[in-house]
Amino acid sequence: MPIFEVLTPMSVLLCFLGVFIGIIMGAIPGMTATMAIAIFLPLTYSLDMIDSIGLLIGLYVGGISGGLVPAMLLNIPGTPSSLCTTFDGYPMTKKGEGEKALKVGITASIIGGFFSLTILYFFAPMLASVAINFSSVEKFLIIVFALTIIASISKGSLLAGIFSGILGIFISLIGTFTDNNEMRLVPPGLEDELVYGFSLLPVLIGLFAIGQLLQEAEEGMETASHQKFDLQKGKNKFSFKLFKNQKVNVVRSSIIGTFVGMLPGVGGSAASITAYSQAKNFSKNPEKLGTGEPEGLVASESANNGLIGGALIPLLSLGIPGDSTTAILIGAFLLQGIEVGPLFITSNPDLWSGIIFALLIANLVMFTLMFFSIKYFAKIVLIPKYVIFPIIVVACVVGSYAINNGIMFDVWTLLLFGLFGYIFPKIGVQIPAFLIGFILGTQAEKYFIDSLKGSGGDLTIFFTKGPIAIVLWILILASLIYAVIDSRKTKKKAENQQAA
Amino acid sequence: MKKKLWMLLVVAVLGALLAACNSETEDVSEGGQEADQEAEEVSGDAENTSGEEASVDLNRIRVVIGSSSTGGDTYQNADAVSRYTEEALDTNMKVDAVGALRAFDELGKANDDGSTIMFFHDMAYLGVEYGSFDQDDELENWRIGPVVATNPGNAFLTSADAPYDTMAESAEWLEENPDETITVALESGGVSEIVFDGYYLWVEEEYGTDVTDRIHAYVTGSQEDKNQALWDGNTDIIHGSIGANKQYTEDGVEDKIKMKFLGITAGERVEGFDVPTFAEQGITVDGEEFVFDKEFFFLMPKNVDENFATALNDAIADVVKNPDYEEDLNTNTYIVNHKPADEAEEYLLDKREKFRSIIERAPDLDEIAK
Repeated sequence: MPIFEVLTPMSVLLCFLGVFIGIIMGAIPGMTATMAIAIFLPLTYSLDMIDSIGLLIGLYVGGISGGLVPAMLLNIPGTPSSLCTTFDGYPMTKKGEGEKALKVGITASIIGGFFSLTILYFFAPMLASVAINFSSVEKFLIIVFALTIIASISKGSLLAGIFSGILGIFISLIGTFTDNNEMRLVPPGLEDELVYGFSLLPVLIGLFAIGQLLQEAEEGMETASHQKFDLQKGKNKFSFKLFKNQKVNVVRSSIIGTFVGMLPGVGGSAASITAYSQAKNFSKNPEKLGTGEPEGLVASESANNGLIGGALIPLLSLGIPGDSTTAILIGAFLLQGIEVGPLFITSNPDLWSGIIFALLIANLVMFTLMFFSIKYFAKIVLIPKYVIFPIIVVACVVGSYAINNGIMFDVWTLLLFGLFGYIFPKIGVQIPAFLIGFILGTQAEKYFIDSLKGSGGDLTIFFTKGPIAIVLWILILASLIYAVIDSRKTKKKAENQQAA
Repeated sequence: MKKKLWMLLVVAVLGALLAACNSETEDVSEGGQEADQEAEEVSGDAENTSGEEASVDLNRIRVVIGSSSTGGDTYQNADAVSRYTEEALDTNMKVDAVGALRAFDELGKANDDGSTIMFFHDMAYLGVEYGSFDQDDELENWRIGPVVATNPGNAFLTSADAPYDTMAESAEWLEENPDETITVALESGGVSEIVFDGYYLWVEEEYGTDVTDRIHAYVTGSQEDKNQALWDGNTDIIHGSIGANKQYTEDGVEDKIKMKFLGITAGERVEGFDVPTFAEQGITVDGEEFVFDKEFFFLMPKNVDENFATALNDAIADVVKNPDYEEDLNTNTYIVNHKPADEAEEYLLDKREKFRSIIERAPDLDEIAK
């Protein structure tokens, strides 16, 4: 399908703008790609779906990529997915090779982005065509699997992970139960406000924008303006020849990023850490990684951009978000009344092509903008947060108020969940697990009830439906067993360390 | 340098805001400049006959629909009529698929200026008759707007490999196979329930309760839910429409999701589709052919601004004459069916009365639900 038959000039422009703003937001420490998308989501209500997708995909790619700038220049990851970028990026900057480091990161990012885009293009339709065979039983089990995976990767806190997911489901069920039109779980006095439950978007914006801002405020929002860095000192400049010896590393890291991205709830930091540790395992000079080697940068950055296409695979083929950012993208589809799931690609071929083209354009724009203007983007890290953040709070409040045509309760929801977003990490509630539970809660209930309706109330249907159900149960059990073993290992290690 | 960066950032954010609010901004400025003129036009329209240009002094009209699906016939019809009417009214219309209960709720809370109106079909009154919606939502409590379209493809479907090809054959098949049952997916209080009731009463008249005792209902919601129920094997027959379901009946569709039509409830066949009507299959109730045309219309708050109601009525009168609108509807096998607001009110109240006798004798869904 020709690109400009699908994308409108407006969607290309918005994609460009999205990348630009995304890079800026990603480059400001404390602001993430997820936050960028959450803040801009209400604006998409007045746009066509294809234009919204252009903007949001641009923000996603730009936000993830922008994170490498402060990671390399200030040793502060701009987004969690740039964590490992600091290991070699910052030492390079200290050696006066900041520009080289940034360009290595940017080039690795576009390779990772294109790699995952290719996998997304071929793999999502295949997975969707398999998923067409899934009945409500399998769909319910996939959601359970998604939640157990999130819980199992939450190191040493399996119970907290499970609790967070269940809490999310519980809160999503507040409101009217559509099968009998009866209200449930609504606190007395809030019947009018919560008749349809909490609106998704104020919840998302609250958790990811307001919560993060409160966290930053607590930490003091210090500016980095006092820090000095040399982008280029000496003759050791960037050259594409650097990638000659990195072919295996870049492919391996992109694969890791893409497949980690496919696992529900696993964030970019996990992709980046896994790829970095594998790069170290396979490196000829592992001792050099962490001292300012481009090899480490390539691993981290190709993995975290590889994550983008990977996270979109379960979203567009199963309706299950691969990470917090794609969970927010679900909000964009819901705003336009479009259901993502196994039939999404065949029922919305234009939109599917639009997503692919938008990713292609976003990656190209990201590379062009950052590669040729990196000196200017480097200055973004010095923008004082105390100026930016109040503007963001206003944008969040206006967006939440407007999203359902002017409902004040949505603003209270925003503030309430903003507070939750601040408190949850302190008390051990995991926001990704909570969010996935909240987003998939009503669907989980619906599939559960549909399964029982079909079986005449027989609960054994979840075990007897067929081979796919059995495989899913094995995966659920495996993820739980892994979590228990991993948790014990971590505890033992901690005890040994204490003893030593 | 710092200043330049700040400028860039501010320009980018403003650019995004402007792009997102593009259509609204245009209207706000136009609305500002032309507010007086539009107000005059509206007051003039109140006395106009249809055919003259209508417009309203609103930047945006929210059209809530009684379905939460964007794949069904309600959304497709609402989207088509809104696209043409917004041009005629010189405003923006945004279709919001919020579902029936919420749509009535929003309409009840809406301002009388016409900024929120509802678009729905016969379920608007059938739901009240069946007790699915509150009595407060009955037609008398709203201002009924024009009828704009009919879905002649209001249909029943089954899996492509089912042992029967029509609804009448499904009843024969049940009679010949006393150990078998048939489950039909429908929406409580919906058009699907009234046409299911027509079928059920005919089977009872024709084959007796031995057969109807083996007909069950699978109560669910949107079109997507009904389709999924069929694919999951939770139901044998689903209610749907030619427009929304033809994609699953075409060659090349995977076996797992392939469907076939069993009949339509309209009086005449839909051109280009070899799907027999209920009447052709001999399905009758009280000796009369069972025919049900699913019709789409607007509802407004009871005390909606008279100028707005007139402007909408006039705009619709223009839209239904537009061949492009007709072509858009025909793409999804819907047809233009225009009844101005005053005729629509009388017509819908009569139609409700006509089907009350079927509803009174209909089986209780609680008893036959699976």
